[in-house]
Amino acid sequence: MSTPKDNHDETSNGNGEASNGDGELYGVLAEFDTPGELVTAARKVKDAGYTEFDCFSPFPVHGIDPAMGVKRTILPLVIFGGGFTGALGGLALQWYCNAHAWTWNISGKPTWSIPANIPIAYECGILLAVLTSFFGMWAANKLPQVWHPFFRQERFGRVTDDSFFIGIHASDERFDHARTKKLLEDAGAIAIDDCHRENDPARKTMPKWITAFIIASTAFALIPFAIAAKARTSKSSEPHIHIFPDMDFQPKYKSDTAMDLFPDDRENRGDIEGTVARGWLEEDDLFYRGLVPGDNGTQWTTGFPATYPDGEKFAVDDKLLERGQKRFNIYCTPCHGYDGRGQGMVPTRAALNGPTWSVRNLVDPTSVVATMPNGQLFNTISNGFNTMLGYAAQIPHADRWAIVAYVRALQRAQNATAEDRPDQRTP
Amino acid sequence: MSALVKSLHPDEKITAGKLGSSMMKAGVGLAVVFLGLSLVLVLARGTAEAGHASKWARFFYAYVVGWCFIATIPIGMLWIILLHFLVRGRWVTVVRRICEAMTGSFLLVWIAGLVFVVPVVAGYQDLYYWATPDAHDAALNPVLQHKLGWLSPGFFFIRYIAYGAIYVGLSSYFAKKSREQDESGDPKITDHLRKVAGPGMIVYAFVTAFVGFDVLMSLAPKWYSTIFGVTFWGSGCVGAFSALALIVLWVQRSGRLVHSVTEEHYHDIGKWMFAFTFFWAYVQFSQFMLQWYGNMPDETIWYKYRMFGDWQWVSIAMLVGFWAFPFVFLMSRWTKRIVPSLVFFAVWQLVFHWLDLYWNAMPQFDWYQPGNGLNAGPLAGNLALHHVGFDPVDITVWIGLIGVLLAGIGGHLKGNLIPVKDPTLGLSLGHEQL
Repeated sequence: MSTPKDNHDETSNGNGEASNGDGELYGVLAEFDTPGELVTAARKVKDAGYTEFDCFSPFPVHGIDPAMGVKRTILPLVIFGGGFTGALGGLALQWYCNAHAWTWNISGKPTWSIPANIPIAYECGILLAVLTSFFGMWAANKLPQVWHPFFRQERFGRVTDDSFFIGIHASDERFDHARTKKLLEDAGAIAIDDCHRENDPARKTMPKWITAFIIASTAFALIPFAIAAKARTSKSSEPHIHIFPDMDFQPKYKSDTAMDLFPDDRENRGDIEGTVARGWLEEDDLFYRGLVPGDNGTQWTTGFPATYPDGEKFAVDDKLLERGQKRFNIYCTPCHGYDGRGQGMVPTRAALNGPTWSVRNLVDPTSVVATMPNGQLFNTISNGFNTMLGYAAQIPHADRWAIVAYVRALQRAQNATAEDRPDQRTP
Repeated sequence: MSALVKSLHPDEKITAGKLGSSMMKAGVGLAVVFLGLSLVLVLARGTAEAGHASKWARFFYAYVVGWCFIATIPIGMLWIILLHFLVRGRWVTVVRRICEAMTGSFLLVWIAGLVFVVPVVAGYQDLYYWATPDAHDAALNPVLQHKLGWLSPGFFFIRYIAYGAIYVGLSSYFAKKSREQDESGDPKITDHLRKVAGPGMIVYAFVTAFVGFDVLMSLAPKWYSTIFGVTFWGSGCVGAFSALALIVLWVQRSGRLVHSVTEEHYHDIGKWMFAFTFFWAYVQFSQFMLQWYGNMPDETIWYKYRMFGDWQWVSIAMLVGFWAFPFVFLMSRWTKRIVPSLVFFAVWQLVFHWLDLYWNAMPQFDWYQPGNGLNAGPLAGNLALHHVGFDPVDITVWIGLIGVLLAGIGGHLKGNLIPVKDPTLGLSLGHEQL
């Protein structure tokens, strides 16, 4: 903002008379050459009993606070309060969400547990401490302040570069124009200016375009909220607004939508009757379903398939058992346990929450699993049994057979006798 | 920034004189009396403690804790010297000679450590579980088999000597060059040390982490935490800066450096104490949080031991005493600038630094006993083993080893107590907190 020449008082006005545009006296502004002189002068001004004055410097000056008699800021305490509130708020948020409003049992873990809540509480504490320090610093410095009477002194522009100033406000009860200026002169000021408030009413008010801009942009920012608020409380028969209609309405059909071309009004056509997609025939009853021909048409196999569908020989060997062990440990152990005795983590944890369900002991010689034909075991893995759901979606057929083989090995191993390990027998 | 540059006060007493030898005498006296008392206590013991083959087991556990305590103090001081040169620090210069004297104790500390290292090499099995035949039993300790190449007595000894050699070499090099500058006043020495500090810091970081892994963490060889080296170092730096504050005050009480070291410097030492107090809590929690949440048996078992039974009270004491209380009170500017209050926290934090090491080491005393595989101890829910089992030897060995540390420091507290021709000395003397 440029200052017209005639509104500006170029030199110090010794008598304190108001020039054109100047209002009442705001204060005096004294310039000093070095930061050391600024500190010395500030101490003299303080010792003379002034309280309403300030020092201006391009950079922080050591020792200026005690020289001016400025009390230590209470900002640290405010920040501590902010941080503490943030940490407590973070804890309260987690308590409300996890332990109160929407409790959710995740494999029996407690809904409220301090160690798990510490990271969030810590971050909330930091967040609020930082926000309080940032805005607290603004508030303590009375920011934002875009205009100050001292700005009317052209000399004052150098305060951001290489000059040091003390400004004493006329509102100070010890302020006396002549004596105050004498004090500053004695303190070593190289220039002293009177500083007046603005008297020109046109320059005292904010320019109209700034006011208009603030009002317009605030109103503009409220529009989305207004639309959202209206939409929440009103009904409309109008269709949605489509900005790109050819993108929203493309000339094609998506799956699972209606279509009036066919008698059943559905776009999905499904498989053509009497056909099977290539590779999906699954005609091998033994491999895909565990069935062999029997007395009443079919019965469960007690053995294993002879070949894979691609013709490769199906061998019950170490490789198959290792594969079976890996799949078993991934899919079956959560309930049945690593030893197959039905003591996995799920029933163990469920037992902590009271009445429980029992998981089948796969290796108990008296269990139905011990005598169950392989085919039926395969079918159980595929389609489930009682409360157990089928695993056909997760485990491919070949892996299901590997698990069957591994369960058989597990049954044997868990019921082993000394006869099974002649090398370990004590003489 | 207007930095104040001052010159040495004309009346300042800067030569150590008999200061070092009096400290050394006090240290030797403490070491002889208290280590002797420890030996008497052990010899008076009738039998070994339950589960231990040797009645020296408790002595060696206490010795490892005490040794870690005296080792971390020069370790922390070496760090501040390296950092000072690395970042062109200023305030440290007036107390750097004292830091250098403290790192001078490395040699004696490492010799003192041979008391527990040599028996391990010679076949003593009641300290480190990995040195027992049980550890080699693949059926009892399947996971441990992969670590036994690293955790073997011979290699352990070689590493121990290598760590000591690096510490002694690095610290004496900085001390020697610094003393050379007192004679020549050559500012190029400072430039040279700034260049050495960078690689030195990298080597220092690795060695410090591995000292933590090898000496302290391997007491529980089946447990592992990659951040352990950092928690060991963080806790050690709390102790190191606390010890620095006390020694600087003691030097000033003798009438030396009274004008040079001001409350501004105590304030900065206090800031480091505060920073590492919080840093220790931060990394300890990082370790705890991941292991507790991950809930893997190999990892949580270490915490199960410390969260239940008697040890939970020690854990809570650590949380309150080593973190919460000093954190709240050291946060203020004044608790760091008023010397009696700083001294109170220095002593407090030294005690808790020792308790931190105790808390890391001692639960293993009951847990890792010959014959105990994974199935004995806490995994089997054996709460009978969850007791703190405090023993007077724990304290007497600790105090005796502090005597060793003081003797090591006293031996290097000689000549000028301030680097008189260091180019940053003026800035350090004029150091002011904004």
